[in-house]
Amino acid sequence: MTNHSDLPLNKDITARFVPKIVALMVYLGTLCFVFTLFMIHSSSSWKQGFTTQLSIEIPALENTSSNFLQSQVLDLLKKTPGIEHAAAVPQKEMATLFRSLIGEEIDIDLFSLPSIIDVSLKTQEIIDIQKLTNSLKRISPDIHLTDQRPWQNQVLNLINTSILIAFSITLLVILAAFATAAFATKTSLLIHRQVIEILSLIGATPSYIAKQFQHHALKQALLASAIGSCLAFLTFFVIITLLEQADFSCSLNSSFFSQTLCVFVLIPFVTAFAIMFAVRYVVIKELNS
Amino acid sequence: MPDSIAQLIDLGHQYHGGSELFKDVTLNITKGSFYFLTGPSGSGKSSLLKMLYLDLKPEWGTIRLFGEDIKQLNPSLIPHLRQKIGVVFQEFKLLDHLKVVDNVSLPLRVQGKDAQSSRKKAQELLDWVGLGDTLDIYPHALSGGQKQRVAIARAVIAQPQLLLADEPTGNVDDEMAMKILYLLEELNRAGTAVVFATHNFRLLERSSYPQLVLGEQTISLLTKGEALHDESF
Repeated sequence: MTNHSDLPLNKDITARFVPKIVALMVYLGTLCFVFTLFMIHSSSSWKQGFTTQLSIEIPALENTSSNFLQSQVLDLLKKTPGIEHAAAVPQKEMATLFRSLIGEEIDIDLFSLPSIIDVSLKTQEIIDIQKLTNSLKRISPDIHLTDQRPWQNQVLNLINTSILIAFSITLLVILAAFATAAFATKTSLLIHRQVIEILSLIGATPSYIAKQFQHHALKQALLASAIGSCLAFLTFFVIITLLEQADFSCSLNSSFFSQTLCVFVLIPFVTAFAIMFAVRYVVIKELNS
Repeated sequence: MPDSIAQLIDLGHQYHGGSELFKDVTLNITKGSFYFLTGPSGSGKSSLLKMLYLDLKPEWGTIRLFGEDIKQLNPSLIPHLRQKIGVVFQEFKLLDHLKVVDNVSLPLRVQGKDAQSSRKKAQELLDWVGLGDTLDIYPHALSGGQKQRVAIARAVIAQPQLLLADEPTGNVDDEMAMKILYLLEELNRAGTAVVFATHNFRLLERSSYPQLVLGEQTISLLTKGEALHDESF
């Protein structure tokens, strides 16, 4: 590996604009990738929160004991195939929930609160909702079954779509950075055509000439992507600080922050080496053609 | 032919749409041979040299370079063949952004030799051609003759098996021309085959090497005695 540059690559025009574009691309790409990570972590914590797939509401009835209906429903659920777990929401929790809806000023004890049974399903088995609804109606026609899965699926689809879009944008930004590097390399090959011709006549292999370009590209890309990554980190830091100041409670754990930190550290190296190999590929391809 | 460096068989060339430059050129350049290549301007001396350093494909005929038929040559082998050839270009082809010493050591670096020993060898050669005090200056600050000597130093530094020199004495005085000739002779004695394209009659008169005379679209090989009576150029 030679440290000597036989091509005046530092002096051509691409040396001025390519680092700026790469820095910008790395900045945007890193932020997009961090947003993707954020969405992945958020979706996983939301998925963990979606433990209840069905909710059964037993209204407070005047002529029937709520506890009796509740135990009948729980018995039915125990016998129903496909049900993993069923449990009534404690009355204290229900009172808290209602208080948050109707306000602290109204005495909650004046109301007869309905019972809610949260049901989680086995993932492997399919439950016949219609049959379960009919069975519940036979216990009491006032019992109401709510299937939470459709909206949960909608939320998960929305999250997955967001992840896909963020990831696609990241890929597009990376591709744009590579395309810029490839275009700049082709331009540089044209600018230095005469020098390359002399090197070739002296016996330089395409690989030798490519090394000159790739070393130059590596140096430039490392510096540019380090700047881009630092700016992205600063932006991320500002956003997180602003969110904290705005008391925005996003359920982010330490693993998200450690992964994000890894992204900020690794991105400059990954980008620089990827650009270096892209440049080498372009030079060898062009010289061989 | 084990000692053959370059074989030209029925070689012919014409530029697109132009008249024939030369035809039926047959020649065997062996290890340790020395030829002057002469002929009038436009007779195809530079083109013939270009073919020998693989910068121009002949229209007709065959060139075997170091045993390889260049028409069937894998392009990836071209740099390796060129590394065995030293070329003094008529227009020097020095790299203006590199210092003189780096220009001269370039062929060694291209061959993967380490920079320090390459530089040392370049210094020695530059001393020999009388440019030992120009190591760290750039070619644009040199005169035509100095550039020519740098180009010669670069062509010989890797001790090529074949040296092609296109008018290497075109920009130097007689004394330097003779010095350049001695340098090439020294290289030739070490086994390098030399093809020396020149118009310099004084050099031709003073040396006894055979002359390849390009003219009338063909090539003739003249010994010194014959050449003295040849007035074709």
